[in-house]
Amino acid sequence: MNDVGYTRRLSPSTRAALGVFARYGTIIGLLVMILVFSFLSPHAFPTFNNFINVLSQASLAMIIAGGLTMAVIVGELDLSVGYAASLHGVLVTGLIVANHLPIPVAVVIELALGALIGVVNGVIVTKLKVNSVIATLGVGTVLVGLSFAYSAGVPIVSGVPESFLQLALGRWLFGIPNPIIFMALVFGGLWLLVERTAIGQEIQAVGGNPAAARLAGINVDRIKILGFVLSGMCAALTGTLLAARLGSGTTNAADSYLLTAFAAVFLGSATLRDGEFHILGTLIGTLIIVLGFNGLNIFGAPTYSQFMFQGAILIVAVGLASLGRSLAES
Amino acid sequence: MAVPPAVPFVAASAIGKSYGGAQALRDAALCVLPGEVHGLVGANGAGKSTLIRILAGLTQPDTGEIAIEGRPARIASPHEASGLGMSFIHQELAFVPDMTVLENIMLGLPKKTRLGLVDWAAIQRDVAPIVERVGITAPLDAPAKRLSTAENWLISIARALVWKARLIVMDEPTASLSAGECRKLFSIIRGLSASGVAVLYVSHRLDEILDLCGRVTVLRDGRSVAVLDGPELTRRRLVQAIVGGAVEHLPKARDAAPGEVILSVRGLRRLPRVAEASFDLRRGEVLGLGGLVGAGRSELARLLYGADRPDAGGMTIEGRPFAPRSPAGAVRAGLGLVPEERRMEGLLLGKSIAFNLSLGNLTPLLASPVLPFISPRKRARLAQATIHDLSIKARSPEQPVGRLSGGNQQKVVIGRWLRSKPKILILDEPTRGVDIGARGEIHRLIRALARDGMAVLVISSEPDELPDLCDRVLVMAEGRIVRELAGAGLTRSAIIEASYAATEERVSA
Repeated sequence: MNDVGYTRRLSPSTRAALGVFARYGTIIGLLVMILVFSFLSPHAFPTFNNFINVLSQASLAMIIAGGLTMAVIVGELDLSVGYAASLHGVLVTGLIVANHLPIPVAVVIELALGALIGVVNGVIVTKLKVNSVIATLGVGTVLVGLSFAYSAGVPIVSGVPESFLQLALGRWLFGIPNPIIFMALVFGGLWLLVERTAIGQEIQAVGGNPAAARLAGINVDRIKILGFVLSGMCAALTGTLLAARLGSGTTNAADSYLLTAFAAVFLGSATLRDGEFHILGTLIGTLIIVLGFNGLNIFGAPTYSQFMFQGAILIVAVGLASLGRSLAES
Repeated sequence: MAVPPAVPFVAASAIGKSYGGAQALRDAALCVLPGEVHGLVGANGAGKSTLIRILAGLTQPDTGEIAIEGRPARIASPHEASGLGMSFIHQELAFVPDMTVLENIMLGLPKKTRLGLVDWAAIQRDVAPIVERVGITAPLDAPAKRLSTAENWLISIARALVWKARLIVMDEPTASLSAGECRKLFSIIRGLSASGVAVLYVSHRLDEILDLCGRVTVLRDGRSVAVLDGPELTRRRLVQAIVGGAVEHLPKARDAAPGEVILSVRGLRRLPRVAEASFDLRRGEVLGLGGLVGAGRSELARLLYGADRPDAGGMTIEGRPFAPRSPAGAVRAGLGLVPEERRMEGLLLGKSIAFNLSLGNLTPLLASPVLPFISPRKRARLAQATIHDLSIKARSPEQPVGRLSGGNQQKVVIGRWLRSKPKILILDEPTRGVDIGARGEIHRLIRALARDGMAVLVISSEPDELPDLCDRVLVMAEGRIVRELAGAGLTRSAIIEASYAATEERVSA
């Protein structure tokens, strides 16, 4: 029946133009930004070194955003990622400095802990049926408390071994910084998982229409928990790499990644696909944000402008995403 | 037919309305006199809801005229309908659970003081007599969600009276009321009628119609075929008019005798909608599940499919106990479902045909048996094959499924189960909103699946569909299977009569 009579009719050419804007707007924005910065600062911005630097800096945000993408693809939000990453940074430093665990063991423990936090988030959301915004905000706040309880709020600085710092500062193949390699592995893995595996198809189905997925015989709860687990593991990796880069385990160090990751994920959903979250989109979304920060830095823009940039871009991102969705549905 | 003695409150004539290719109303007329209780009956799909939607201003008729108190009227919106003095109370009551009784009664009609604030004192004064008249005993400041369904009906009626309605349309008012609550509602309806408010009473329950209504309009196939009153208004005449003298389709010769019992259901219950269901489903047969809307058929299907758990009773598949805890469990045990709401529950509209076809059945797409990766090429090839087999009209397997027509979307949902070959396939309203051509193709497809040995259960509210399609039909009413029809006894009118017979038995019992 057609009783929804209030959809505004757009002319086909307007729709087509809006559609192109919604799908390619972010990529066009990225290219324009690169051109403008290159033009204004031809010696500092468009250099190979700056690019590698920016990408290396961006890698941590990208990894956490990649994980968050998995949570939003299954149709939930994970607000605990920033706080979780901070806790992981404190814990991994503590495990290495105070408990003298070998670095690989400490990292594996962190990843397992990240997965566990994901399971907790997922079970609260699917079994206790708590809205994911509330559930992950609550879990995240508990994690902040744990972090303070463990470190008493004092950064763990002394006794951090050089080999741990190398995790983030070292370079590997052809002198590519390690974080970029970690980021590439994470994105390659997540992309394969979502786009090319059977589980990935189920992940997309659960996010797209949970009712249809359930009736098609998919275990919706399990897939949602998996989304939170991947999100939690990526937060653990980001937290660990950040601690290695800073050379310390500091409470709150990674909190601000939450906003960056959200902006990146929503910008990504407005990229190439009509408001649908996907891995490649998140990659491009993070690049836009990080290059934007980098440009602002090079021009010596004051700190407050960076906050304004980040807030504005989050709103623009969500706006673009919902524009794409409404065009796709009409 | 009696000549109306006064100017009718509503007089609609020669109303026609089609949705897409389907003609919902052809030549419908309705005449409701001031202060009368008028019945509106007809089988599922006869056009009752469409006629009501037109009166309510929710949809516009293609042809015909409507006059309110003798003056021609165009009802362009629900707002205009209430302005003309008509009020509509639907099965699913529209009220705000967290607001109080009084707030719900006054919803959308705030009395304001000079400062623009809501004048609750004036409201209390005005509403008190109305509340008394409809017999609301709950305190006016109680939250509406704490009241029973029956009391919420009273709120809706009070709201209609506050709006100064001259005609209140009630759609299946007793569907979820107890016997005592029904009696109370009936006495209120009689009171309304005595005070000059007309009631249009829409119901499948003929005993209530006979009890309450002075005159009854019968719709069949979008036409008003009879207006009965006085001595003509009997159950016999009503059923005759509802069923009509339509030419029966001859039952078709079936391909082969059905095989052994594959699904056995005993004493399945989940109140309030499923009271008791026992039946067997055999390999290679198409079993129909008929009955009126609300008889409990979809709810029974949900039990079979593990979407809900039964309160009592049990099932076996091929002799082994079967108690699915989720749809995933039912699928593992060999069931497939084509749900009623295909756009909401069957498909991911933004995704491609290929994606939707492979949903829930991904093993054939794996590139190799050892690695977990799926091959896009295999997926495209399998999708192309299914598109060809089902003659789905699409440009490519990558086309978004949301852009297909209803019939082709339905074929995609059915096509999903073609490769995984479940033992049992349940189809809920498989041809609703599907054009005639696609409908025939879907029917042939269902027959072909049964011929290949699948056991098929088809739920349909269209009286014509089941005799054409099924080997055997179970008729459900009030949550029970009340009749089994097969062979020469399997006709359209037998299904309709069984659906109504049961509601009468319930009351006389």
